[in-house]
Amino acid sequence: MIEKVKASRSEIVILIFVITLAIFSLGSFLLIKDKCLFVKDYDPNKIKFDNPANIAILNVPCGNVIIQLYPEISPNGVKRFITLVKSRAYDDVAFHRVIKDTLVQAGDLEFGKRENIDYGKIGTGKSGLGTINSEVDTPFDFDKGTVALARTQKYNTEDSQFFIVLRDEPLYETEYTPIGKVIYGLKALEKIKYLDKSQYVLRPDFINSIRMLIN
Amino acid sequence: MNLIRLILLSLFIFTQAQADTIYNLIKIPNLEVYEINTSNKLRYVYAKQPFTIGVDNNINCFNSEKNFLDKKYKIIKKNLDRYDQKFLRKINLKYIVLCEDLSISKIKTAGIPDNVMKTLILDLKFNESYFERVIHHEVFHIINDSYKELFDEKIWSNFNVENFKYAECSTCTNKIGLDTYKKTDGFFTEYSRSTASEDMAEVFSHLMIDSDLSNIDPILNKKIQFIKNNLLKIDKDFIL
Repeated sequence: MIEKVKASRSEIVILIFVITLAIFSLGSFLLIKDKCLFVKDYDPNKIKFDNPANIAILNVPCGNVIIQLYPEISPNGVKRFITLVKSRAYDDVAFHRVIKDTLVQAGDLEFGKRENIDYGKIGTGKSGLGTINSEVDTPFDFDKGTVALARTQKYNTEDSQFFIVLRDEPLYETEYTPIGKVIYGLKALEKIKYLDKSQYVLRPDFINSIRMLIN
Repeated sequence: MNLIRLILLSLFIFTQAQADTIYNLIKIPNLEVYEINTSNKLRYVYAKQPFTIGVDNNINCFNSEKNFLDKKYKIIKKNLDRYDQKFLRKINLKYIVLCEDLSISKIKTAGIPDNVMKTLILDLKFNESYFERVIHHEVFHIINDSYKELFDEKIWSNFNVENFKYAECSTCTNKIGLDTYKKTDGFFTEYSRSTASEDMAEVFSHLMIDSDLSNIDPILNKKIQFIKNNLLKIDKDFIL
């Protein structure tokens, strides 16, 4: 006959402690692993926009980023951006340059595509549509969420690459062509992969898609 | 004590982040914004710490005391406010770097213009007597570098008397005096005799500070007209 041994109070306390520890460990692991856990994913169809024709939806790993475009400020820049969005050229293109809490840059259509990414040349690629002139004369507040076209050191070299600032950057006014502003979903951009020691990202995050709200 | 450390640390982090943006734009380290809300959109930045740039790190400049910086900024801004945004855009000047004891290859210099980076580095300590004139002198180098084809050195040199020859470079000569001649003979200052571009810059800077032009010789008159005509080609609204 087996005698039933009753667990002492201290044994019960230890057991509860071990179980609690295991739950916390597992929970923490899952939380850390899912970088998008606390990022709200906005559904553009549930939001009312003043001017829906100027709304672009950028879909990134942590959800939707809703951008209002400003054709009245940079007509040529916005036109180029919409042209590329409508041709789906930005789909599967890398966020190749990311500075933590500062900016994310994407749009290298030549060397930044997921299927043929070229780390040696990324950031230098072209769209094939040629360059456009800078539109930097209209006063514009380069505050957090501004979307602008990237260029080389020279003006009038804008093409397909764009960046979004994650903090106010007043020095960028009259330097870069602003094309819009993020109105919802900036948090999703703050989760884009970055490296501590380099602005250029190895094995970067990609744009899933960019679409105009009204096609 | 820990709170003070935390505040100091957060200030350091903030300034570093700002400096990175400036570095990304003009490739000069250790700078901070002094003033960017100006009517002509010039951005004034200053050396927070000494910096070294250039080929073989041959350009050096140092940070200034706050009071001195404030005093000199007022003088510089007053002078640079004479150029409007449109003109500055045309000549490619946007960033004014304020620092002191500026040198290039260990030779002291008043300013280093770089129209490609849209930047003019100014030495706040350079020659107290002619400080304001020197500001315009350096601006002219930006103008000249942006419009080389207009300020043809051959045409300019032909204004001089037949046997006159400029030096090979502005640092290859002892002609560095900046005092304005009481009686001119084709040149405003001794430094004008160094090179054609320095001569042009001296003419321009004298025009900008409203020098007395009543007793100007015919050669200098031709040079003044040359500068004025070409400035109007750059911007028909430019007022001297």
